[in-house]
Amino acid sequence: MTTADTFTAVPRERAAPSVDRRQAGTGWLMSAPALALMLTILIAPVVLALVLSFTDYSLGNPGFNWVGFENYERIFTRSTYAKMLSATFTYVLTVVPLSVGFGLGAALLIQSLTRGAAIYKAIYFLPVMATLLAMTIVWQLMLHPSIGVINRGLEALCAMPVTRGLFSLSFLGLSPEATWFGRVCTEGTPLWLGDRDYAIWVVCFVGIWQGFGFNMVLYLAGLTGVSRELYAAAEMDGARSSWERFRLVTWPALGPTTVFVVTITCIRAFQAFDTVEALFSPGGGPGKSAYVMMFAIYEKGVTQNLVGIGAAITVLFLVFVMILTVIQRRITERKVHYA
Amino acid sequence: MATVTLRGIQKNFKETEVLRGIDLAIADGEFVSLVGPSGCGKSTLLRIIAGLESASAGAIEIGGAPVDGLRAADRNLSMVFQSYALYPHLTVAENIAVPLRMRQLSAAQRLPLIGRAMPGAAEQNREIDARVMEAARTLEIDGLLERKPGQLSGGQRQRVALGRALVRSPAAFLLDEPLSNLDAKLRVHTRTEIAELHRSLAATFIYVTHDQVEAMTMSDRIAVMMGGEILQCDAPARIYEDPADLRVAEFIGSPRINVLPAESDATGRISVLGAGLPLALPGGRQTLQLALRPEALTLTRIDPLLHGCVAHAENLGHEIYVQVTLDGAEQRVVLRADPALQAQLHLGAEVGLTFDPARALIFDAEGRRMRNVVSALQEVPA
Repeated sequence: MTTADTFTAVPRERAAPSVDRRQAGTGWLMSAPALALMLTILIAPVVLALVLSFTDYSLGNPGFNWVGFENYERIFTRSTYAKMLSATFTYVLTVVPLSVGFGLGAALLIQSLTRGAAIYKAIYFLPVMATLLAMTIVWQLMLHPSIGVINRGLEALCAMPVTRGLFSLSFLGLSPEATWFGRVCTEGTPLWLGDRDYAIWVVCFVGIWQGFGFNMVLYLAGLTGVSRELYAAAEMDGARSSWERFRLVTWPALGPTTVFVVTITCIRAFQAFDTVEALFSPGGGPGKSAYVMMFAIYEKGVTQNLVGIGAAITVLFLVFVMILTVIQRRITERKVHYA
Repeated sequence: MATVTLRGIQKNFKETEVLRGIDLAIADGEFVSLVGPSGCGKSTLLRIIAGLESASAGAIEIGGAPVDGLRAADRNLSMVFQSYALYPHLTVAENIAVPLRMRQLSAAQRLPLIGRAMPGAAEQNREIDARVMEAARTLEIDGLLERKPGQLSGGQRQRVALGRALVRSPAAFLLDEPLSNLDAKLRVHTRTEIAELHRSLAATFIYVTHDQVEAMTMSDRIAVMMGGEILQCDAPARIYEDPADLRVAEFIGSPRINVLPAESDATGRISVLGAGLPLALPGGRQTLQLALRPEALTLTRIDPLLHGCVAHAENLGHEIYVQVTLDGAEQRVVLRADPALQAQLHLGAEVGLTFDPARALIFDAEGRRMRNVVSALQEVPA
């Protein structure tokens, strides 16, 4: 044994650097296919978009000119793009908190049920399963100014003195103009999709309606992981109200779920497109009030074949999502506890 | 500190009777163990005392006051859970402080960030911090206060759970198998510590365990539970030496007590496996069971009562557990022997056994203890 040991040990020591180098070479060779795929499929399109965003390229043109930051300058100076940013952030800032909140609320309510939970889960999950495009057409019908069920319903409520008095709060002595319902009754029902004050909120509503069931399912999964004994411990420790138990046990335990839900919902909100396409194509709504980013990319880059500006909006979109991700990582590291 | 009194506690889960009328009076400062095999209802009973579950019938008094309508948070009890149930997102110090924060601070004072600025909060928080520190020092975890439970070992978590229980002065401590997740060595160590903690706090402890050794070593009294009722509640020594029921005798003691078929003849004279004993039981001929602790049986060459051969021997170093197959009996008996006898106790060796009749425990066919056994030395076997 000893002779064999010394015999092999000495040459191996001398050969070490070249063996290392050869192993490194083999390693690179083996990972080359994966690297090549990653570069061509994942990285290259992003780089291409970045390059195109500095040009005035159109599909079918033989060449293009470098235009520097002109495309970006347009985004930040022209009113169309100001409206785009406004619509996008209105949508994201409305849909994300509300659909996460409703998702959590629905999950907590369903969890507290002793029977019938499966039915509620199925009902709340229905909009998620249904195609958004198809469901948007249904909403379009319901929101139709004259034949839509919503305005018909509002008119019916206005027609009855009792409900009119109740919802317009005139029984409190308020004038008909003081409440939204009062104005609807006196000035006529809203045009929903044709009114720039309503259009983006309709899009937001459909987004929340469609998205919260998905968040609910994720939260339900998260809730199954909360230890029953922790609730008992919280009760013994004097947490009397359900809010205190939620603060002490449920919410911290759902931290990882919340991070995931918020990230996914944010990205989905930035990607909102089909509602706007179905309700407001072409144009992006009255006065471009629902002109969200994805729709703008589609309109510029595909419909109008202005690839350069489309690419610039794409890059901006990526930057927003990146910033969001970084913020979430920071919060995650500090606040969220992974058990 | 307070007494805990249970009267006729029953619990049904739908059709299943989990507890069938539990009566138990626990004195102030007493350490009572509820021990029994899994499924005997001991944990359910503890949760009913805690208020985490409601009893189907019966009444509970803590410190002389009925608590039946009170929720767990208002019963002023502390509980240590089997899984420790520490809040994973809070540090050790924050975990221990939770019972004090929940009870002493107002909702506004507990708010994150601004809570500390509320009137009176600073003083309250100082007091809480001091008491957390005191509890941590008692349990020697004051070096871990800034860690999260995820960074602690099982033994350390167990101490934090104890700390959270003793940081305030509850009427009684409820412990639900707190040692079952620890390794054997740590369990022995923590056993001593909990017993010492009980002595220094002089508080009422109710301790649930399936481990008879834990119950024997720590308790003032043991309540042996089986099938939803308390079979016997007595001091550990009494439970071991004078069990009221064969199930108690079989559950407590390791190795298990030896049970042999016995009978009494028309005169009441008791015999086991054909060997007459100088014991008699009034009441004529009946089938009995005779139970003997392993240490009550001894090996003998002179005039043995029972004969058998060695079936298995376990050498523990300080003693040998010898399993002997008796002539005329199906089951084996276990006895303790001196390791010096190892050479003679080879497999198949024929041995004679004897025992002091006074140490034999007589039970009837249903397992009830027969206490009216009389010595019958004057009667010489014919």
